Amino acid sequence: MSGSALEHLKILIVEDNQHMRSLLRALLNSAGIREISEANNGGTALTVLREKKCDLVLSDLAMKPMDGLEFSRTVRTAGNSPNPFVPIIMITGHTEKHQVEAARDAGVTEFLVKPITAHSLFSRIAEIVERPRAFVRCESYFGPDRRRRTIDSYAGPWRRHDDFQDLQVQ
Amino acid sequence: MSKPNIKAQMIPPDAYPQMVSKAHAAVMARTLRSNVTAVTATRVIEDNGEMLRDAVRGYVGELEEAGMDFAILSDKAHEIRGFAETAGMLSTGRIADGLCRYFDEAEQSGVRPDAAVVALHVSAITRTARDTDALSQMNDMVARELAQLAGRKLAESRKAAKNS
Repeated sequence: MSGSALEHLKILIVEDNQHMRSLLRALLNSAGIREISEANNGGTALTVLREKKCDLVLSDLAMKPMDGLEFSRTVRTAGNSPNPFVPIIMITGHTEKHQVEAARDAGVTEFLVKPITAHSLFSRIAEIVERPRAFVRCESYFGPDRRRRTIDSYAGPWRRHDDFQDLQVQ
Repeated sequence: MSKPNIKAQMIPPDAYPQMVSKAHAAVMARTLRSNVTAVTATRVIEDNGEMLRDAVRGYVGELEEAGMDFAILSDKAHEIRGFAETAGMLSTGRIADGLCRYFDEAEQSGVRPDAAVVALHVSAITRTARDTDALSQMNDMVARELAQLAGRKLAESRKAAKNS
Protein backbone atom coordinates (compact mmCIF):
# COMPACT_ATOMS: atom_id res chain seq x y z
CA MET A 1 0.00 0.00 0.00
CA SER A 2 1.41 3.39 -0.87
CA GLY A 3 0.37 7.03 -0.59
CA SER A 4 -2.65 6.04 -1.78
CA ALA A 5 -3.56 3.57 0.69
CA LEU A 6 -6.70 5.62 0.58
CA GLU A 7 -7.65 3.71 -2.57
CA HIS A 8 -8.07 0.61 -0.43
CA LEU A 9 -10.09 2.23 2.30
CA LYS A 10 -13.64 0.88 2.35
CA ILE A 11 -16.22 3.41 3.45
CA LEU A 12 -19.95 3.04 4.06
CA ILE A 13 -22.14 6.14 3.74
CA VAL A 14 -25.42 5.88 5.67
CA GLU A 15 -27.62 8.82 4.69
CA ASP A 16 -31.25 9.14 3.66
CA ASN A 17 -30.60 12.26 1.61
CA GLN A 18 -29.52 11.44 -1.90
CA HIS A 19 -27.85 14.82 -2.44
CA MET A 20 -25.74 14.44 0.67
CA ARG A 21 -24.78 10.90 -0.36
CA SER A 22 -23.67 12.23 -3.76
CA LEU A 23 -21.69 15.05 -2.19
CA LEU A 24 -19.96 12.76 0.29
CA ARG A 25 -19.14 10.24 -2.43
CA ALA A 26 -17.70 12.99 -4.66
CA LEU A 27 -15.59 14.38 -1.81
CA LEU A 28 -14.26 10.93 -0.88
CA ASN A 29 -13.50 10.22 -4.54
CA SER A 30 -11.57 13.48 -4.75
CA ALA A 31 -9.24 12.21 -2.01
CA GLY A 32 -8.65 8.99 -3.92
CA ILE A 33 -11.12 6.84 -1.97
CA ARG A 34 -12.81 4.49 -4.39
CA GLU A 35 -14.44 1.70 -2.39
CA ILE A 36 -17.64 3.32 -1.21
CA SER A 37 -20.93 1.64 -0.31
CA GLU A 38 -24.19 3.42 0.41
CA ALA A 39 -27.26 2.78 2.53
CA ASN A 40 -30.27 5.02 3.09
CA ASN A 41 -30.97 4.06 6.72
CA GLY A 42 -29.49 2.21 9.67
CA GLY A 43 -31.24 -1.10 8.95
CA THR A 44 -29.95 -1.31 5.39
CA ALA A 45 -26.52 -0.25 6.62
CA LEU A 46 -26.38 -3.21 9.01
CA THR A 47 -27.08 -5.53 6.08
CA VAL A 48 -24.31 -3.89 4.04
CA LEU A 49 -21.90 -4.16 6.97
CA ARG A 50 -22.63 -7.89 7.24
CA GLU A 51 -22.04 -8.41 3.52
CA LYS A 52 -18.99 -6.18 3.01
CA LYS A 53 -16.00 -5.41 5.14
CA CYS A 54 -15.97 -1.67 5.87
CA ASP A 55 -13.14 0.30 7.48
CA LEU A 56 -15.16 3.38 8.31
CA VAL A 57 -18.80 4.46 8.47
CA LEU A 58 -20.13 7.97 7.80
CA SER A 59 -23.66 8.09 9.20
CA ASP A 60 -26.43 10.64 9.32
CA LEU A 61 -28.33 10.94 12.59
CA ALA A 62 -31.97 11.49 11.61
CA MET A 63 -33.18 8.66 9.36
CA LYS A 64 -36.15 6.32 9.24
CA PRO A 65 -36.92 3.57 10.09
CA MET A 66 -33.60 3.11 11.92
CA ASP A 67 -31.77 6.30 12.85
CA GLY A 68 -28.04 6.82 13.27
CA LEU A 69 -28.14 6.43 17.05
CA GLU A 70 -29.85 3.03 17.00
CA PHE A 71 -27.55 1.97 14.17
CA SER A 72 -24.45 2.93 16.19
CA ARG A 73 -25.72 1.18 19.33
CA THR A 74 -26.48 -1.96 17.32
CA VAL A 75 -23.05 -1.96 15.66
CA ARG A 76 -21.35 -1.57 19.04
CA THR A 77 -23.39 -3.91 21.19
CA ALA A 78 -25.39 -6.45 19.17
CA GLY A 79 -24.25 -10.02 19.65
CA ASN A 80 -24.17 -10.54 15.89
CA SER A 81 -22.49 -7.21 15.06
CA PRO A 82 -20.14 -7.66 12.11
CA ASN A 83 -17.59 -5.20 13.49
CA PRO A 84 -18.17 -3.58 16.89
CA PHE A 85 -14.93 -1.59 16.60
CA VAL A 86 -15.61 0.06 13.22
CA PRO A 87 -15.10 3.85 13.48
CA ILE A 88 -18.36 5.79 13.01
CA ILE A 89 -18.46 9.48 12.09
CA MET A 90 -21.90 10.93 12.79
CA ILE A 91 -22.75 13.71 10.34
CA THR A 92 -25.73 15.81 11.30
CA GLY A 93 -27.43 19.17 11.08
CA HIS A 94 -28.71 18.71 14.65
CA THR A 95 -26.25 20.40 16.95
CA GLU A 96 -28.21 20.53 20.19
CA LYS A 97 -26.24 19.38 23.23
CA HIS A 98 -28.60 16.47 23.96
CA GLN A 99 -28.13 15.13 20.40
CA VAL A 100 -24.33 15.34 20.67
CA GLU A 101 -24.44 13.55 24.02
CA ALA A 102 -26.80 10.90 22.66
CA ALA A 103 -24.43 10.27 19.75
CA ARG A 104 -21.45 10.03 22.10
CA ASP A 105 -23.32 7.60 24.35
CA ALA A 106 -24.38 5.49 21.35
CA GLY A 107 -20.68 4.89 20.65
CA VAL A 108 -19.91 7.18 17.73
CA THR A 109 -16.25 7.93 17.20
CA GLU A 110 -16.47 11.47 15.83
CA PHE A 111 -19.25 14.03 15.36
CA LEU A 112 -19.36 16.25 12.28
CA VAL A 113 -21.79 19.13 11.96
CA LYS A 114 -23.38 20.12 8.66
CA PRO A 115 -22.71 22.12 6.59
CA ILE A 116 -19.71 19.92 5.96
CA THR A 117 -16.54 21.15 4.33
CA ALA A 118 -13.81 19.08 2.72
CA HIS A 119 -11.49 20.19 5.51
CA SER A 120 -13.84 19.13 8.31
CA LEU A 121 -14.55 15.75 6.73
CA PHE A 122 -10.96 14.89 5.87
CA SER A 123 -9.57 16.07 9.18
CA ARG A 124 -12.03 13.80 11.05
CA ILE A 125 -10.98 10.82 8.91
CA ALA A 126 -7.28 11.67 9.34
CA GLU A 127 -7.79 11.89 13.10
CA ILE A 128 -9.38 8.43 13.21
CA VAL A 129 -6.69 6.89 11.03
CA GLU A 130 -3.81 8.52 12.85
CA ARG A 131 -5.04 8.39 16.42
CA PRO A 132 -7.40 5.46 16.89
CA ARG A 133 -9.25 5.65 20.21
CA ALA A 134 -9.17 3.11 23.00
CA PHE A 135 -12.48 1.34 23.58
CA VAL A 136 -14.27 1.03 26.90
CA ARG A 137 -16.49 -1.84 27.92
CA CYS A 138 -18.60 -1.48 31.04
CA GLU A 139 -22.04 -2.41 32.24
CA SER A 140 -23.82 0.41 30.45
CA TYR A 141 -21.55 1.25 27.50
CA PHE A 142 -19.34 -0.19 24.82
CA GLY A 143 -17.58 2.13 22.43
CA PRO A 144 -14.72 4.58 22.01
CA ASP A 145 -13.40 6.08 25.23
CA ARG A 146 -15.58 9.13 25.80
CA ARG A 147 -12.78 10.99 27.55
CA ARG A 148 -11.17 13.06 24.83
CA ARG A 149 -8.34 14.50 26.88
CA THR A 150 -6.53 14.28 30.16
CA ILE A 151 -6.31 17.45 32.18
CA ASP A 152 -3.24 17.27 34.38
CA SER A 153 -4.54 19.99 36.66
CA TYR A 154 -7.95 18.30 37.13
CA ALA A 155 -8.82 18.53 40.80
CA GLY A 156 -12.36 17.13 40.75
CA PRO A 157 -13.57 13.73 41.94
CA TRP A 158 -12.54 10.51 40.21
CA ARG A 159 -15.63 9.24 38.48
CA ARG A 160 -14.64 6.07 36.71
CA HIS A 161 -14.97 2.99 38.88
CA ASP A 162 -11.40 1.80 38.35
CA ASP A 163 -9.73 5.21 38.56
CA PHE A 164 -8.87 4.71 42.22
CA GLN A 165 -7.29 1.35 41.50
CA ASP A 166 -5.25 2.87 38.65
CA LEU A 167 -4.10 5.53 41.06
CA GLN A 168 -2.99 2.92 43.60
CA VAL A 169 -1.07 0.98 40.95
CA GLN A 170 0.83 4.10 39.99
CA MET B 1 -24.48 6.81 43.75
CA SER B 2 -24.07 3.04 43.57
CA LYS B 3 -21.03 1.71 41.78
CA PRO B 4 -21.49 -0.64 38.81
CA ASN B 5 -20.84 -4.31 39.42
CA ILE B 6 -18.52 -4.69 36.47
CA LYS B 7 -15.35 -2.66 36.22
CA ALA B 8 -14.73 -0.69 33.06
CA GLN B 9 -12.44 -2.58 30.76
CA MET B 10 -10.11 -0.46 28.59
CA ILE B 11 -9.26 -1.90 25.19
CA PRO B 12 -6.25 -0.07 23.74
CA PRO B 13 -6.06 0.50 19.96
CA ASP B 14 -3.34 -2.16 19.65
CA ALA B 15 -5.75 -4.77 21.00
CA TYR B 16 -8.37 -4.53 18.28
CA PRO B 17 -8.08 -4.61 14.47
CA GLN B 18 -7.05 -1.31 12.87
CA MET B 19 -7.92 -0.29 9.31
CA VAL B 20 -4.27 0.28 8.40
CA SER B 21 -0.80 -0.08 9.89
CA LYS B 22 0.71 2.89 11.75
CA ALA B 23 3.08 3.63 8.85
CA HIS B 24 0.26 3.69 6.31
CA ALA B 25 -1.91 5.70 8.68
CA ALA B 26 0.65 8.49 8.75
CA VAL B 27 0.80 8.58 4.95
CA MET B 28 -2.99 8.58 4.66
CA ALA B 29 -3.37 11.36 7.20
CA ARG B 30 -0.78 13.46 5.36
CA THR B 31 -2.66 12.93 2.07
CA LEU B 32 -5.99 13.85 3.67
CA ARG B 33 -4.52 17.04 5.14
CA SER B 34 -2.57 18.05 2.03
CA ASN B 35 -3.18 21.19 0.01
CA VAL B 36 -3.61 19.13 -3.15
CA THR B 37 -6.48 17.19 -1.58
CA ALA B 38 -8.05 20.41 -0.29
CA VAL B 39 -7.88 22.10 -3.70
CA THR B 40 -9.30 19.05 -5.49
CA ALA B 41 -12.13 18.76 -2.98
CA THR B 42 -12.96 22.46 -3.27
CA ARG B 43 -13.25 22.01 -7.02
CA VAL B 44 -15.56 19.03 -6.47
CA ILE B 45 -17.83 21.13 -4.27
CA GLU B 46 -17.89 23.86 -6.93
CA ASP B 47 -18.68 21.29 -9.62
CA ASN B 48 -21.59 20.05 -7.51
CA GLY B 49 -22.80 23.58 -6.77
CA GLU B 50 -25.79 23.54 -9.07
CA MET B 51 -26.96 20.15 -7.77
CA LEU B 52 -26.67 21.46 -4.21
CA ARG B 53 -28.50 24.71 -5.01
CA ASP B 54 -31.31 22.70 -6.62
CA ALA B 55 -31.51 20.59 -3.48
CA VAL B 56 -31.71 23.69 -1.28
CA ARG B 57 -34.41 25.21 -3.49
CA GLY B 58 -36.35 21.93 -3.22
CA TYR B 59 -36.23 22.09 0.60
CA VAL B 60 -37.20 25.75 0.51
CA GLY B 61 -40.29 24.80 -1.54
CA GLU B 62 -41.15 22.14 1.06
CA LEU B 63 -40.59 24.70 3.81
CA GLU B 64 -43.08 27.07 2.20
CA GLU B 65 -45.63 24.29 1.81
CA ALA B 66 -45.34 23.22 5.45
CA GLY B 67 -47.65 26.01 6.65
CA MET B 68 -47.40 26.17 10.44
CA ASP B 69 -46.50 22.52 10.97
CA PHE B 70 -43.53 23.20 13.25
CA ALA B 71 -42.16 19.65 13.07
CA ILE B 72 -41.88 19.78 9.27
CA LEU B 73 -40.63 23.37 9.35
CA SER B 74 -37.90 22.44 11.81
CA ASP B 75 -36.95 19.40 9.77
CA LYS B 76 -36.71 21.38 6.52
CA ALA B 77 -34.86 24.26 8.19
CA HIS B 78 -32.25 21.76 9.40
CA GLU B 79 -31.91 20.34 5.86
CA ILE B 80 -31.46 23.84 4.43
CA ARG B 81 -28.91 24.75 7.09
CA GLY B 82 -27.03 21.54 6.28
CA PHE B 83 -26.68 22.33 2.59
CA ALA B 84 -27.00 26.05 1.90
CA GLU B 85 -23.52 27.16 2.93
CA THR B 86 -21.86 24.34 0.98
CA ALA B 87 -23.99 25.40 -2.01
CA GLY B 88 -22.73 28.97 -1.65
CA MET B 89 -26.13 30.28 -0.45
CA LEU B 90 -24.71 31.97 2.60
CA SER B 91 -27.63 34.21 3.56
CA THR B 92 -30.13 31.38 3.18
CA GLY B 93 -27.94 29.20 5.37
CA ARG B 94 -27.53 31.89 7.98
CA ILE B 95 -31.26 32.60 8.26
CA ALA B 96 -32.07 28.86 8.31
CA ASP B 97 -29.52 28.51 11.10
CA GLY B 98 -31.36 31.23 13.01
CA LEU B 99 -34.66 29.40 12.56
CA CYS B 100 -33.12 26.07 13.70
CA ARG B 101 -31.70 27.73 16.81
CA TYR B 102 -35.07 29.34 17.53
CA PHE B 103 -36.88 25.99 17.28
CA ASP B 104 -34.22 24.26 19.38
CA GLU B 105 -34.24 26.91 22.11
CA ALA B 106 -38.04 27.06 22.19
CA GLU B 107 -38.14 23.28 22.62
CA GLN B 108 -35.52 23.39 25.37
CA SER B 109 -37.45 26.12 27.17
CA GLY B 110 -40.73 24.28 26.77
CA VAL B 111 -42.40 27.20 24.98
CA ARG B 112 -44.37 27.14 21.74
CA PRO B 113 -42.63 28.91 18.85
CA ASP B 114 -44.20 32.22 17.87
CA ALA B 115 -45.96 31.87 14.50
CA ALA B 116 -44.99 35.38 13.34
CA VAL B 117 -41.29 34.84 14.09
CA VAL B 118 -41.38 31.54 12.18
CA ALA B 119 -43.27 33.08 9.24
CA LEU B 120 -40.74 35.94 8.98
CA HIS B 121 -37.85 33.47 8.88
CA VAL B 122 -39.60 31.34 6.24
CA SER B 123 -40.27 34.41 4.12
CA ALA B 124 -36.63 35.59 4.39
CA ILE B 125 -35.29 32.11 3.57
CA THR B 126 -37.57 31.93 0.52
CA ARG B 127 -36.53 35.35 -0.72
CA THR B 128 -32.78 34.85 -0.29
CA ALA B 129 -32.93 31.39 -1.90
CA ARG B 130 -34.55 32.90 -4.99
CA ASP B 131 -32.08 35.78 -5.17
CA THR B 132 -28.64 35.24 -6.50
CA ASP B 133 -27.86 35.19 -2.82
CA ALA B 134 -24.53 36.80 -2.42
CA LEU B 135 -24.14 37.69 1.23
CA SER B 136 -25.33 41.22 0.64
CA GLN B 137 -25.41 43.77 3.41
CA MET B 138 -29.19 43.75 3.27
CA ASN B 139 -29.46 39.99 3.71
CA ASP B 140 -26.90 40.15 6.49
CA MET B 141 -28.97 42.81 8.25
CA VAL B 142 -32.17 40.76 7.82
CA ALA B 143 -30.46 37.72 9.36
CA ARG B 144 -29.23 39.81 12.30
CA GLU B 145 -32.59 41.43 12.93
CA LEU B 146 -34.41 38.14 12.74
CA ALA B 147 -32.00 36.67 15.29
CA GLN B 148 -32.68 39.62 17.62
CA LEU B 149 -36.43 39.27 17.15
CA ALA B 150 -36.26 35.53 17.85
CA GLY B 151 -34.22 36.18 21.00
CA ARG B 152 -36.66 38.82 22.21
CA LYS B 153 -39.71 36.64 21.56
CA LEU B 154 -38.11 33.68 23.32
CA ALA B 155 -37.37 35.79 26.38
CA GLU B 156 -41.00 37.02 26.42
CA SER B 157 -42.36 33.49 26.06
CA ARG B 158 -40.10 32.17 28.82
CA LYS B 159 -41.17 34.99 31.12
CA ALA B 160 -44.84 34.38 30.35
CA ALA B 161 -44.42 30.64 30.97
CA LYS B 162 -42.69 31.33 34.30
CA ASN B 163 -45.45 33.69 35.45
CA SER B 164 -48.34 31.46 34.45
